[in-house]
Amino acid sequence: MTHPARLILDDYRRLFRDGIWDNNVVMGQMLALCPLLAVTGTATNGLGMGLATTFVMVAAALLISMFRGIITPEVRIPVFILLIAALVTLVDLVMNAYLYEMHKALGLFIPLIVTNCAILGRAESFASRQPVHRAVMDGLAMGVGFTLILVVLGAVREIPGSGTLFADARLLLGDGFAWMELTLIPDYRGFLLMILPPGAFLALGFILAGKRVLDTRLAARAASMKVAEA
Amino acid sequence: MTTTTPVSGPHTHAPGGVTSQMGWVILALLPATAFGVYLFGWPALNLLLITVLAAIAFEVMSLRIAQRPVTPFLMDGSALLTGLLLALTLPPWAPWWIAVLGAGFAIVVGKHVFGGLGQNLFNPAMLARVALLVSFPLEMTTWVTPQPMFAEGSPGFIEGLAITFGLAAIPDAMTGATVLGETQTGFSRDLGLSETLPGVYDPMQQALGFIPASMGEGSALLLLAGGLLLMVRRIISWEIPVSMLGTLAALATIFMLIDPERFAGPGLHLISGGAMLAAFFIATDPVTSPSTMRGRLIFGVGCGLLIYVIRTWGGYPEGIAFAIILMNGLAPLIDHYLRPRTYGRTRGGKPLEPKAPAQTAPVTEKRP
Amino acid sequence: MLSFLFKRRGFQGGVHPEDRKQATSHLPIQTLPLPERLYVPVQQHIGAAAQPRVQAGQKVLKGEMIAAGSGPVSAAVHAPTSGTVVAVEPHPAPHPSGLPVQTIVIEVDGEDRWTDEPEPEHALNLEPEVIAQRVAEAGVVGMGGATFPAAIKLNLGSRHTIDTLVINGSECEPYLTCDDRLMRERTQEVIDGVRIMRHALGARHTLIVVEDNKPEALAALQEHLYEMDHLEAMSVPTRYPMGSEKHMIKAVTGREIPAGKLGADIGVIVHNVGTAYAVHRAVRMRRPLVSRIVTVGGGAVQRPANLEVPLGTRVEELLAYCGGTRETPARLLMGGPMMGQIMPHAQVPVVKGTNGLIALTAAEINIDDPMPCIRCGRCVAACPCGLMPLEMASRIRSEDMDGAAAHGLMDCVACGSCSYVCPSHIPLVQYFQHAKGVLGDRREQQRRQEELKKLAQQRRARQEAEAQAKAEAAARKKAEREAAKKKRAQQAEAKETPAPAKTNDKDKAEA
Repeated sequence: MTHPARLILDDYRRLFRDGIWDNNVVMGQMLALCPLLAVTGTATNGLGMGLATTFVMVAAALLISMFRGIITPEVRIPVFILLIAALVTLVDLVMNAYLYEMHKALGLFIPLIVTNCAILGRAESFASRQPVHRAVMDGLAMGVGFTLILVVLGAVREIPGSGTLFADARLLLGDGFAWMELTLIPDYRGFLLMILPPGAFLALGFILAGKRVLDTRLAARAASMKVAEA
Repeated sequence: MTTTTPVSGPHTHAPGGVTSQMGWVILALLPATAFGVYLFGWPALNLLLITVLAAIAFEVMSLRIAQRPVTPFLMDGSALLTGLLLALTLPPWAPWWIAVLGAGFAIVVGKHVFGGLGQNLFNPAMLARVALLVSFPLEMTTWVTPQPMFAEGSPGFIEGLAITFGLAAIPDAMTGATVLGETQTGFSRDLGLSETLPGVYDPMQQALGFIPASMGEGSALLLLAGGLLLMVRRIISWEIPVSMLGTLAALATIFMLIDPERFAGPGLHLISGGAMLAAFFIATDPVTSPSTMRGRLIFGVGCGLLIYVIRTWGGYPEGIAFAIILMNGLAPLIDHYLRPRTYGRTRGGKPLEPKAPAQTAPVTEKRP
Repeated sequence: MLSFLFKRRGFQGGVHPEDRKQATSHLPIQTLPLPERLYVPVQQHIGAAAQPRVQAGQKVLKGEMIAAGSGPVSAAVHAPTSGTVVAVEPHPAPHPSGLPVQTIVIEVDGEDRWTDEPEPEHALNLEPEVIAQRVAEAGVVGMGGATFPAAIKLNLGSRHTIDTLVINGSECEPYLTCDDRLMRERTQEVIDGVRIMRHALGARHTLIVVEDNKPEALAALQEHLYEMDHLEAMSVPTRYPMGSEKHMIKAVTGREIPAGKLGADIGVIVHNVGTAYAVHRAVRMRRPLVSRIVTVGGGAVQRPANLEVPLGTRVEELLAYCGGTRETPARLLMGGPMMGQIMPHAQVPVVKGTNGLIALTAAEINIDDPMPCIRCGRCVAACPCGLMPLEMASRIRSEDMDGAAAHGLMDCVACGSCSYVCPSHIPLVQYFQHAKGVLGDRREQQRRQEELKKLAQQRRARQEAEAQAKAEAAARKKAEREAAKKKRAQQAEAKETPAPAKTNDKDKAEA
């Protein structure tokens, strides 16, 4: 008989595994590609967008799960959208107030978080049917997974594109994080293609291919281990 | 006693194959290539070799990753041809990393990402050229005036290496602009063609290739000769070159008649830039062009139209790579809609109406 | 290059394979000496197999019917020479599979004795039906290789208006010269056969079509056709597949057979010159089809030849007569190299459709390992049916048979022009035959399923009807019994005995 807390932890671990790798918003579900392709010119932009999205996802999951008993199926979509839009507006205004420089870079895309299909998708398929604690955990896992892929893609594009990593991180995280701003290749003239939209498609394509290769290898290894055991 | 596979005929085959086709294309390109190398000296030769070798190296690498047999696929010569075509469209004194990056982009992203030979949607060499042009506008538009090999004042072997590997800057005195570039700069300064063209455009020199240009697009005449050879050998079909150059010339003529100060004539459009190279060697790439005759005609017309539009009203002085890539993207659509008419069916695919012949008196012959 | 400006006579597409006819085109037809045994399959044609009419041990004369046609599409088989039937048993068929087929084995007595000599017929005075009848009795089939029973095509005149009879002497397959030699050496017989066929069909125009690489044959025909009404020999450009019925009709009449229809529907019938000769033999001379002319050729054959061969002669005898092979053939084919079939070995017999026996060297077949398709479109340009072989192949490669069918797979005549020109050496015809097979199987399965469903429905209906009938019968019986009881009671009362016999009988039948 396993301890109940243990069970819950296992459940959370599964949720995170799902959100970060197996069923990652981008790599598993191929959702939310528009913000992904639009804002990942640098790793910092990706991080900012990811954090904002994560916040919205967690908060939306919390609210929707809380009210799941009283939202009737007929009106659920407008209600979800309203809740998400309210949260996004909140993020938008807060960023405008406290992270003005960052907001200037991401500003255009922040309101578009509303239309991020991943958020509505999770609200519809998970948060509206699960208890609050699981919904929040799922929102957090999905948000973290999304943030990770945004940062990775941003880094993959930023390094060859302009030779830096986490440029302008200070604008997002404060002066304390100035150490994150790395200039990997000094006097680099830039490979413009990686910063332009085609670069996003190319980099994403290679990342997806890489994940598939890794998954296939892991599955093959698991299969061979199973054979060895038997 | 005999092999029984495959069981279906035909049990004979036309001579030649992919390898010999690619071989002929390369052969047809050789005169223009050799002339380009002669005209632009050692740095051009270095760049050519680096591009081709890099293309082959990337091909081998990609085939290994895809776990395909290397030898047969390398022997088809397609990687060699891609490398050669790319080198011919680069500024002849471009630095080595442009060549390597371009070859890598062409082979890996332009070809193998799509599944290798025959699967790519876009012409690899043109894709790489566009990527380079967008990313490195400075390097990709630094043209040099012809510095024939062994001529007075042109770089020797060591100096050539220094230029290719970025150790020495290209002397400003040796740089120049292409005709298309000059005219565009002229327009931005409100200068008409009658003011910009004298001094930079001499039809004879232009056709022969003694002009600032990329290595392979200089000599329009040699390219034309090579292209005609391919047509005669039926390696390429006539539809694309004819319709593409025809459209370009027709548009240039029409607009020149409207305003000769603003629009250059057909001669300049045909013999400058990469028009000849593209029409005979790049747009005719079988993989990325339509496979029916009518489809190829439309493809050629589209290429010619886009080239003219981009050259005349676009932001870049030369638009061949963009035009071809845009039309490459349309090729599958063209193939889908312009199928040939099937025997015994209408174009829509319905069976034809059977027409029974009118009753006629049969021939009767009664003889013992 | 400017060919698009001129309207070409002919059909779209097609290829120009090297014809390699010079090796045999100058060689007169020789008669192959009788072999010791003949292996005559009962199935040498399209349609139902003939039924053997002889038994082991029976003596047969040359021209005697040894197997009778069965069903509407079939052809009789006759003894190619005199001798003794030694067995009626399965032997390998001239087919790539080499699967056995019922074969009549005849021990040749060497006398080559015909059945009784019949009177030559005044063929042009016969009624069309009688001509078709005679042709059917003689077992004549399409001699160009299609082997469709000829009599059926000669009978079409009664149901369709046929205004043009086309005699196919194009012989577009490389290597083959048997029709060429036939037209040159037996010109009058061929023309006589053509006239008989024209008479049977009631066709107004008759064209004997010869490709322009056979000027001697054309000249011979024209010489004999001099001033013959509405019967002309015409030359067409040499282009494969000129001999295909669809494309020959298009080339000489400009008409196209609508998809799913026959030549007869547009008033044109095509017969081979070899068939014309066989018809002459059958109707004028009243002799059945017992031999045919075969071109033995190909780079691996020592001495190529045109041979007149009794049907049922094994391929090895022909090769031996031609001095054997100089090297092991890379492929041994029956028919031409474009559409011929690979023979599993040389122990298969010559049949009615064998126009050539071609032993090819590796250099001649020039088969390479297939490479990926580079979409060059040569197959599209070569396809005489206006299809896009590359698109069909790419769909078949991904098992999308319906997609291939939507691209016109069923309009493909498997002529092989696409595979022939493919620079990547992709065996396109192989793909298409495979896909047609899969689609055919699927249709067959569907048909069977529907039939099963129908049967099940019928069964259910029958069961229901039976149950109802039973219930009714039971009710009726009960009523009858009660009635009978009542009656009996009444009869008992009336002291009378017998129960109605009818009722008893019915009871028994139902039990």
